[in-house]
Amino acid sequence: MLNEERIILMTKMASYEEHEGKKNVAIGNYFRSDYIGFQLLKSVISATVAFLIVFGMFVFYDFEMFMQDIYKMDLLSFAKNVLIAYAVTVGGYTVITYIVCVKRYNRAKQSLKCYYNNLKKLSGIYEK
Amino acid sequence: MTKLLVIREYLKNFYSKYEIYLRPTWKLLLAFITLMMINGKLGYMSQIDNVVVVLMASLMCSFLPTGCIAVIAALFITLHLYALSMECALVALLLMVLMFLLYFRFSSKDSIVLLLTPVSFVCKIPYVMPLAMGLVGTPVSIVSVSCGTIIYYFLSFISDNATTINVMEDDMTTRFRFLIDGLVNNKAMIVTVVAFAAALIVVYIIRRLSIDHSWTIAMVAGTLINIVMLLVGDLVYDTNVSILGVLLGGIVSVLLAKALQFFVFSVDYSRTERVQFEDDEYYYYVKAVPKLSVATPTKTVKKINTQKNYNESNQTTSRTVNTMNSAARNSAGTARAAGASRTVGTAKASERTTTEGKAIHNVRTVNTVNSAANRSTSQGSGRSSTKK
Repeated sequence: MLNEERIILMTKMASYEEHEGKKNVAIGNYFRSDYIGFQLLKSVISATVAFLIVFGMFVFYDFEMFMQDIYKMDLLSFAKNVLIAYAVTVGGYTVITYIVCVKRYNRAKQSLKCYYNNLKKLSGIYEK
Repeated sequence: MTKLLVIREYLKNFYSKYEIYLRPTWKLLLAFITLMMINGKLGYMSQIDNVVVVLMASLMCSFLPTGCIAVIAALFITLHLYALSMECALVALLLMVLMFLLYFRFSSKDSIVLLLTPVSFVCKIPYVMPLAMGLVGTPVSIVSVSCGTIIYYFLSFISDNATTINVMEDDMTTRFRFLIDGLVNNKAMIVTVVAFAAALIVVYIIRRLSIDHSWTIAMVAGTLINIVMLLVGDLVYDTNVSILGVLLGGIVSVLLAKALQFFVFSVDYSRTERVQFEDDEYYYYVKAVPKLSVATPTKTVKKINTQKNYNESNQTTSRTVNTMNSAARNSAGTARAAGASRTVGTAKASERTTTEGKAIHNVRTVNTVNSAANRSTSQGSGRSSTKK
């Protein structure tokens, strides 16, 4: 005999697993600190690459002038400025990543909680 | 209005029924249009400026995630620009890598906006993008709309200055500087990005307000902000914006946004209900606006005769007609038999365009004709025997 309530619940859960759930389950497999830490690490790498690209473009934009001035300029102060710019870029990007990831993790956990409740409900229907 | 709602329901049902086929088709179309536009605007590499190559790439995109269309488009752009000059390809590639690294890594779904924005620019209706994203997206969509705008303006700059780039002396840094200047000091691009961002924010804020017709007010306000900012930008920075183009584009964009609203947010403000209640912790002031919806009329086909009877009757028809034809051929009474044949011919013709009920009626007719033909056969033979 078909149980309509069970079929509806299973269909909803299958649809969740197929779409939104896929991502959420992947996030839910991590501890909060692990997930956020991993995302921050990826962000630091991305921001570093992005900074290198922009810095490379900046240098190459006026390469001849840069090569002429390199012997005259205060290299220490230049390096300091570059490092500050790098720290601001990476720091800013990391803060944004942190906020996004915390939000995403909480949302995924909330959604998975609902999913696990449905699983319990389903198991209860089977036990009846 | 009811008819439109019925059509919407039909479209929704149709989409949900054939989603498995429509999704790849939609991706195929988007990829095809995007790649064809890239080829039309740049088209420096003859090897990929070919419909067959575009079709193959689009077919590939139809089975891949939507983000892959953006990657393939980026590849096409880089290849075309490489054919023009290596510096162009390098700058474009670095620009796109920056976008992917910093933004699209987070929200790969937004890559569709990155594709649609330049497409809408080519179609002369770019103002629809901030409206649409303000209505269905979030303020973060500003980044994707801005990225699309930057790519469009950069490609336009290259395509407009292709001859200058070619003529330039073979100095890598000069070309590089020219391209970076074209990208950073493009006043029209900066004005457009700022205007789109402002319009998107205004649309987003207004459509979330608890006022009647908030979506319509939001899109009109967004369009006005857009137009005003573009015109002021033109006055201040001399960006050469066509006033007529901006006005017409704005009107068309509002119409398109209205169409989007019809599918996404269709409500009946005349039946708005305001209720007020409380629980232990809060007082609630609730405004409930009912959605506009109609039930799709369903057609029920009542079968009077089953398929089996229909087939049987058809077989009977052909059998009786054959019998009748042979009887008519054998008939000595030619006049009557000829009359019978004509009747059968009519019966056959009507049978082709008829329903089941009519087919049965034809069976009866043919049977009658058949018996008449049989009679004519016997009479004919009788007559011949009399003559003998």
